[in-house]
Amino acid sequence: MTVGEAGSREAGPRTPRPVKAGADDPVEVRMTVNGTPTVLSLPARVTLADGLRDHLGLTGTHVGCEHGVCGMCTVLVDGEAARACLLFAVQLDGADIVTVEGLGRPDSLHPLQESFGRHHALQCGFCTPGFLMSSYDLLVNKPDVTEEELPEELSGVICRCTGYRNILTAVDETRRAHPEGIPEPGNRVRTALAGRAGQGAEASDGPDEAGDTVSSSVQDIVLPSGAPTIAVRITTEIDLPEDRVWGVLDDIYLLARCLPGAELTDDHGNGHYAGRARVSVGPVKLAFNGVAHVLEQDREAGRLRAVAQGQDTGGAQTQADITLTTEATATGTAMHADARVYLTGRIAQFGRALAGDVSRRMFEQFADAVTEAATSGQAPSGPVKAPSALSLVFAPLLGRLKRLLRGAATRRRPRCDER
Amino acid sequence: MKAAPFAYVRPSRLSDAIAELAETRGGGKVIAGGQSLTPVLAMRLARPDTLIDINSVAELGALTSSGPALRIGATVTQRRVERDPLSRGVPLLRLALPWVGHRELRSRGTVCGSLAHADPAAELPAVACCLDAELTLTGPNGHRRVSAREFFHGAMTTALNPDEILTSVRLPVAAVGEGFGFAEIARRHGDFALAGVAVRVRLRAGRPEATMTAFGVSDRPVTRDLSEQLAAAVTDGGDGIADRLKERLAAVVEEVVDTDGDVHASRDYRRRLLLALAGRELPKAYERARDGAEEVTT
Repeated sequence: MTVGEAGSREAGPRTPRPVKAGADDPVEVRMTVNGTPTVLSLPARVTLADGLRDHLGLTGTHVGCEHGVCGMCTVLVDGEAARACLLFAVQLDGADIVTVEGLGRPDSLHPLQESFGRHHALQCGFCTPGFLMSSYDLLVNKPDVTEEELPEELSGVICRCTGYRNILTAVDETRRAHPEGIPEPGNRVRTALAGRAGQGAEASDGPDEAGDTVSSSVQDIVLPSGAPTIAVRITTEIDLPEDRVWGVLDDIYLLARCLPGAELTDDHGNGHYAGRARVSVGPVKLAFNGVAHVLEQDREAGRLRAVAQGQDTGGAQTQADITLTTEATATGTAMHADARVYLTGRIAQFGRALAGDVSRRMFEQFADAVTEAATSGQAPSGPVKAPSALSLVFAPLLGRLKRLLRGAATRRRPRCDER
Repeated sequence: MKAAPFAYVRPSRLSDAIAELAETRGGGKVIAGGQSLTPVLAMRLARPDTLIDINSVAELGALTSSGPALRIGATVTQRRVERDPLSRGVPLLRLALPWVGHRELRSRGTVCGSLAHADPAAELPAVACCLDAELTLTGPNGHRRVSAREFFHGAMTTALNPDEILTSVRLPVAAVGEGFGFAEIARRHGDFALAGVAVRVRLRAGRPEATMTAFGVSDRPVTRDLSEQLAAAVTDGGDGIADRLKERLAAVVEEVVDTDGDVHASRDYRRRLLLALAGRELPKAYERARDGAEEVTT
């Protein structure tokens, strides 16, 4: 399921900006990685492979020989496969990079990945990212490649354990199944990337000098197609007229303050926002970076809908589709919150029951905070509560929950349906 | 396997690139695609003080066909040339490019970079020599043009002065009555060739003129005129051109292959390879030249 405006592809590679830097001086590099505009600051001698792995946390790109022979580090640069160890990251200012992380999603693999799985085209898996990216490039740029040509065309990547036969079979089957061309990478979505050891990359809007507009660089947030990990529906009654409630819902900044979690860091325009959240649940510590897109904010219809996505540096991913609706009642306003939350990676191991409890409580707290804000006309005040399990589920959506307050003027009828 | 620290300059004008290079007083190195240079840096076989990245110099990215020549700028990648219909005018280039490294290397590697790097076993220097391409070298004193056959001075050694940049190469567009052949033997596709040949055959009033450039067999590409040998093999008529040709080529091959043997192939084995390749590709090029000429006359 795709929501949001269609992300437009850049017309072509941009010319890198002029640079002059001393040895080991950091150089600013702006590039798009798996659909996300990123800014890195690196010494010139850092390769793209190391930049992706160490500075963006994208460890799917493997490093083998580091001198262009083994093919483990193959990625797409401006639509063509290239060795990430044979490129200095600084050379890629303005480039569009796709790594194996961008090829498919855990719950919606690219046909090539499906085929590799079906045909046992991997054993230890070390060469798999290289083979996937190389064969993707081959099938896109040479769709008429013959079965006989495959061994030579795929000779740029070395496998040392499972053997080439199954890899060739997997690629050949994908080729046959898609005579009109294989699908594009399925996970090129705007998300947040963060490196290890605190080396940061910020999401940004790309080089303004190149005339890139904010909206053109914003990518879709893609929600998984299957059933959500958690579905929550909560109704809260607020003793205030609908207009007062919308005073909060109309003001994204105010609304953000009502959400437990961290901070809204950036406004990308057209309803796109970036945020981050830190969560600690017992020994588990997660630091999420996320993006949200407000799709609908309609006071007349009494409806606000947002989709969000976030990930932590360890690869945990969460996505959510949240709709708030309001209706006038005899005593004030009924606010319904519907949320479908998807969890992948290590947070999924928390289990649905716990995650469901957490979600429900979080929405209750959110509703309380909205009530408080609507009553007072300003953001909830009071002591800042430490990040809790609550924001875990919601981190993507925003990191915008802040404060939790006791809502004196509310009566709740929570109904939670966990699937 | 990480490159040693280096200063990095990416100018947007050619004059700035030349000035930056001059400023390094021989300690600088020009980088375009970097597909040959980066491994050398990673292994720390080279430790330049400064890398001058020419990828932002717009004028070096031109791929144009002007009259009888295809002009390829310094930052034009091999894969772009492979795909661009303009390169159909230079069939030998199109025959050779798929042999250069792998797709993943050709997508960044440049034609001019391969020439400037001048690996004796590389394909593109042989193509340039076989076609007698013209290289433009630009330095503080302006441009100068050098024939490919005078450009390669030895293994990774060229006519480029330390303050010069190879800014473009001009390859002649094939005329009617010309045919080409290209082949190499490597342990694995994409590896440097143990031996390889690029050949060009021209029919002049029905009589063939033949040029062969061998690579991987000496410290630079070696070009020889084989018109006499091919003409003799052809005029004897009938089948078995290749066999008759091989007899006549033995002496040339003996002389051309002067590399010492290595773990992959002895000198004698390289001679056998070269003889087999030349014996195969010359008749092929001759047929292509004849077919092309017939197509025009019919």
